[in-house]
Amino acid sequence: MIDPAAPLVIGDIVDLLTSPGEMSRIVVEGLAKGSLYLMISAGLTLIFGLMDVINFAHGAFTMYGAYIAGAALLGLGVGSMGFLGAMGSIFVVMLLVFLLLAAVGVIFEVALIRKLYEYPPIFMILLTFGLAITLEELMRMIVEFREINNGQWQIDWATPRIESVPSELASVNELGFFSFTGLQLIQIAFGVLTFVGIWAFLNKTRYGLFVRAGVEDEEMAKALGININRTFTAVFAVGSGLAGIAGVMLALDPLWAVNVPLALAVLLPAFVIVIVGGLGSFKGTAVASLLVGMIDALGTWAFQTGVITFTDLDQLMIFGILVVMLILRPRGLFGVEGQGDHG
Amino acid sequence: MSSEKTTRGPAWLGQYLRDHILLIAIVAIFVAYPFLYGFLTNQFGIVAAMILPETRTMLTILALGLFAMSFDFVSGYTGYLSFGHAAFFGIGAYFVVMGFNGQIPLVPAELPFMLLLVLGGLVAAVAAFLIGLISFRLSGVYFAMITLGISEVLYVISNNWDYITPGSSDPSDGVAAGAPSDVGFFEPVLGIPFVDPLNAKVGPFGDETLLGFDFGDPEIVSYFLIGAAVLLCYLAMKRIIHSPFGKVMIAIRENEERARAIGYNTFRYKMGAFMISAFFGAIAGGLLVAYVGTIDPQNSFFFLVTGFALVAAIIGGLGTLAGPFFGYIFLEGVREFLAREGSGGGLQPFLEQTLPGGVLNINLGGLTINEALDAFMTGHGEFYAGIIFVLFVLYIPIGLLGTLRQRLGTDSVAKYVSRRVADRFGSSGSQPAE
Repeated sequence: MIDPAAPLVIGDIVDLLTSPGEMSRIVVEGLAKGSLYLMISAGLTLIFGLMDVINFAHGAFTMYGAYIAGAALLGLGVGSMGFLGAMGSIFVVMLLVFLLLAAVGVIFEVALIRKLYEYPPIFMILLTFGLAITLEELMRMIVEFREINNGQWQIDWATPRIESVPSELASVNELGFFSFTGLQLIQIAFGVLTFVGIWAFLNKTRYGLFVRAGVEDEEMAKALGININRTFTAVFAVGSGLAGIAGVMLALDPLWAVNVPLALAVLLPAFVIVIVGGLGSFKGTAVASLLVGMIDALGTWAFQTGVITFTDLDQLMIFGILVVMLILRPRGLFGVEGQGDHG
Repeated sequence: MSSEKTTRGPAWLGQYLRDHILLIAIVAIFVAYPFLYGFLTNQFGIVAAMILPETRTMLTILALGLFAMSFDFVSGYTGYLSFGHAAFFGIGAYFVVMGFNGQIPLVPAELPFMLLLVLGGLVAAVAAFLIGLISFRLSGVYFAMITLGISEVLYVISNNWDYITPGSSDPSDGVAAGAPSDVGFFEPVLGIPFVDPLNAKVGPFGDETLLGFDFGDPEIVSYFLIGAAVLLCYLAMKRIIHSPFGKVMIAIRENEERARAIGYNTFRYKMGAFMISAFFGAIAGGLLVAYVGTIDPQNSFFFLVTGFALVAAIIGGLGTLAGPFFGYIFLEGVREFLAREGSGGGLQPFLEQTLPGGVLNINLGGLTINEALDAFMTGHGEFYAGIIFVLFVLYIPIGLLGTLRQRLGTDSVAKYVSRRVADRFGSSGSQPAE
């Protein structure tokens, strides 16, 4: 796995530590990636925290969001709109995707998931897993049938997707030591927005209070007259919508491919992040996203400089983090005793 | 299969056979299947081909059915969802291929296939021990996720490690046993070692004779031998489950704290169950390779391999050993029927041939019915499998076999059938056949 030029490793690392430009580039990239990971896993952690539902269909929701965003980017001709117009339409698309997938989430929760609350939590895994394979195959059918990207569901959909992203996003900006692309800036901004938004939702709104009460003690919350069922539906809707928004963000990023396997490519790291952070802890998820983002950026750097020549290093490292974390701290960074244990 | 002969044996043999009458009947159906398939497709043509899976599909069903059973062995009986079970399947499959290619240190390339198979199983059991050391500290969702994480690590490694495929080919494309230019070079001999008539080469280019019979088709011989291996594994797992060890496994599923309070070292039992199920999961992987001769990460270490074992286990009935096997047959049957996943028939060619041309050419919004059939009934098995799975989880969560047990009011369908048969043929059945 190690390049023949392996003795350079130490030299490379010394170079890295002594060059602020390189270092800051990795930090910015890590922040951007961490923001993306946060957006991917926020919905999952929200749903798990309250409902004890590990939502296997989460990745499929993100994949649908990405496809819709791709269709909108190409269909609206966003590329020729100019920067502000493009950003505006992307924002509108994001809002629509959120509403659409939230509606899908409501339907799933009311029609399917609600029926299984009395069952052991494993049945939730089973149900959402079944939904995930069905949704993925449905998208595969749509892609083949409508001849989207010549029916190639396994290849990144439509290279013009990248071209229709405003070119301002790809250009590199400098600020002191830091150099970053517009896209990275937007990713970080949305990551912060997601964090602040969810934090405010949980801590500052009345509904967030219900959610936290439900997490704390479902029976007691019910006894105090909180409509837990409606809270569950709302949280599932918000979580699904967030998954969709993450999909829109991924569609803007050339590093991610908009295709059917995206569902799994999103789902697995999201699981890792939620578990590393500690099941049910939003703070933990945020910290773990940053951690995984940083390590991912470091891995990318190592690969680009040729220190390591293992193509799927990032995946290996992400799952490596999971295994190491569970050995050191079985319940994750901020995990709570008892959560997710039974069943 | 020799146990079917009702020769004049000691009294316990007659009793044994009577107790296992259902098993014998099912094995007999499986033995007869390849001939039955040929007969029925000759007789009824496309209608039979539409419903019945081909013998070749049955071969993979046997191996993957065994995998589903091994998954159920730990997940259904101890209640610990082994979500990374594909790791063991992959270890077994890759061990056989790499062992045959002489890439495993200390394992000579000319080792007989049977030894490779068992060694692969043992390696998987050791791997299960290591994985168990980490993951049995946790339970529930955490256990499922850490096993999944470890199997994903193995998946990524098998996708990228170029040691697996010597030369330049991409490891993610998979690896064949033997040189790719030399098809038919890999001829695993399956059977009972040192008993010549009970051995035969498996695979598309294997032997055509077994026990002196000439079947004229290596597929059928492979089917019998792999079937016999699966049967043996099933009986072994069943024996373990009905032993005191198995009772403790069920006790762990029902209430682990209580089992511990009674004085059982539950960790040892969980670990034992995990290792045994890993062993049989690896055997399943090796058996699949025995016929196919190649393996790739997508069909071994991948997360969905476990996923489909899980689907099969739920459809058949979690916590019933034979259930997942029949669940897999059901699942594969549906996939072939609605999506032509296998190489056989299915609904679409049937409709295409039987519906009149006028109906096929009806236009539904820019799309003829014929085109719609083509689009929705070929190659989208997961879609239907997923819907059926969701329906099972919602409405039949105990699965096919579980429901059957509940309906018959018994904890073992085999016992029930034996009792009914004995009741009906009471006087004649109680005497050993003269």
